[in-house]
Amino acid sequence: MKLAYLSESEADEAALKILTEAVLKRSTQAIPLAGLRHRGWPAVQNALPAVLRALHYHTDAEGLVILVDSNCSPPHLPAHDPGGAAETKCRLCQLRRIADETLSKVHARSHAPPLRVAVGLAVPAIEAWLLCGVNPHVTEAAWFNALQSRDSKKPYSRQSLKEELYGTSRPWLALEKAKMAEAARRLAKDLSQLKTSFPNGFGTFAETLQGWVTRSS
Amino acid sequence: MIEWLEFKNIKALRDTRLPLSRFTLIVGPNGSGKSTVLQAIQALGHKRSWTRDEIRTAGVAEIEPPLIRGGSDSGEFTWRPDAAVYLLGNRHTRIQGPGEVVDAFHRSRLFSFNADEIAKPVRLLPEIELDEKGGGLAGVLDRIRDLHPERFEAINQELGRWIPEFDRILFETPVEGMRAIVLRTRQGGHKIKARDLSAGTLIALALLTLAYLPEPPTIVCLEEPDRGLHPRLLRDVRDALYRLAYPESTGEKRDPVQVIATTHNPFFLDLFREHPEEIVIAEKDGLEVKFSRLSERPDLNEILGDAPLSEVWFSGVLGGVPKGA
Repeated sequence: MKLAYLSESEADEAALKILTEAVLKRSTQAIPLAGLRHRGWPAVQNALPAVLRALHYHTDAEGLVILVDSNCSPPHLPAHDPGGAAETKCRLCQLRRIADETLSKVHARSHAPPLRVAVGLAVPAIEAWLLCGVNPHVTEAAWFNALQSRDSKKPYSRQSLKEELYGTSRPWLALEKAKMAEAARRLAKDLSQLKTSFPNGFGTFAETLQGWVTRSS
Repeated sequence: MIEWLEFKNIKALRDTRLPLSRFTLIVGPNGSGKSTVLQAIQALGHKRSWTRDEIRTAGVAEIEPPLIRGGSDSGEFTWRPDAAVYLLGNRHTRIQGPGEVVDAFHRSRLFSFNADEIAKPVRLLPEIELDEKGGGLAGVLDRIRDLHPERFEAINQELGRWIPEFDRILFETPVEGMRAIVLRTRQGGHKIKARDLSAGTLIALALLTLAYLPEPPTIVCLEEPDRGLHPRLLRDVRDALYRLAYPESTGEKRDPVQVIATTHNPFFLDLFREHPEEIVIAEKDGLEVKFSRLSERPDLNEILGDAPLSEVWFSGVLGGVPKGA
């Protein structure tokens, strides 16, 4: 399967590729527009239409896999899914909407099947996913409850997640890449806990990807 | 570590206090004294110092003398441009304060890299150092290769990652006793002379070398380290500067270097969003300049929300932008 990845950094991309291939249960092929990057929210929103059009017209990519961090925005919930009321501030829903709108306006292409899009929403950051199975307190529910609570104190922060995963809140890129890939490989052996602990940001993402396999076969 | 500096009647810095951390990034409009701060630190440590005329603040009477005060983990200190030079240990200094401070400033260096200077062949000298513009780089790298081959390999590895078209730093001897840098292309093994390399490549190489120096300066002041570099390389530039300031996070076993850098680059600023204590905003109000740590704003999180730091900074709500522009 030929896929493109849109993430914040080389390190994120390496981890995302490992997790994607684990969900798909197959390896993916790089496409010419490799190493697509966004600079966090809201830059990803602005760049996404251009990225989609470039992939659609100029590559034979079958899918675009996007990963964004939720930070303090509302996590994705099942009620947002198709048929439900999309939460306007949910980043996953916003990116899906942009993708749907953009792809509905492109001309059909003959050189490849229609481009598909899967969006992962790491709550609050990819380090939380990668600590799954290591720190049982880091879950989507814990973060969601903290956001709902009147007490503004969060159970953890992006910085504390970094410290836990990398041993420093200022990891250099090579360390970040190595630690992320190591954690992603550990999770790839058994994705069930990641799906349980992050049912909406990762679970929904995994379902989308699995849908691609079902449709292909 | 120098914890703060207070400037009186030093060019644009009429009466202001600058908070410092192990790593400090100063942002602010042109003419807000960012470069003066870096030059002042340089002047504090060296025998050839500023004269009153060189640092005169416009409109300030002759009787109000220029002064720099500061605080460090070893104690407070003062410096005046016309104070008598005296010998402390083996250091000539005008600083009145603890010996550790005198030593720290003596071993401080200011860098404002310039590609033409970096590319120049250099005479090989035993104590060669990187100069302010990056001159001497060929000699410094040549020494690292000979005396610290593992560091030289690390620089090669990193250079190949930063600028993948090159895979090796080589040297040429244009005339006896001189060295010049040559980079080898990954494809085809072509040797590209320093004078034919892009400005960004040369500046990246100088930054990398600085980050991997076996005995770096105690204080490194950097004018716009992002200059000439592609925005995607800025994360690597940040990592290189963090390598100096936080050696323990990279496994380096040496004392931390205090790094003070300036920038106008919004992409670079965004890389420090998670450490607002490292960002100092220089604010110009009429003839006055004020410095404040971004983290000292009690409403910072509310103001930033989910917006990129650079965009909020550019909007002007955090200060540090030209008035009227």
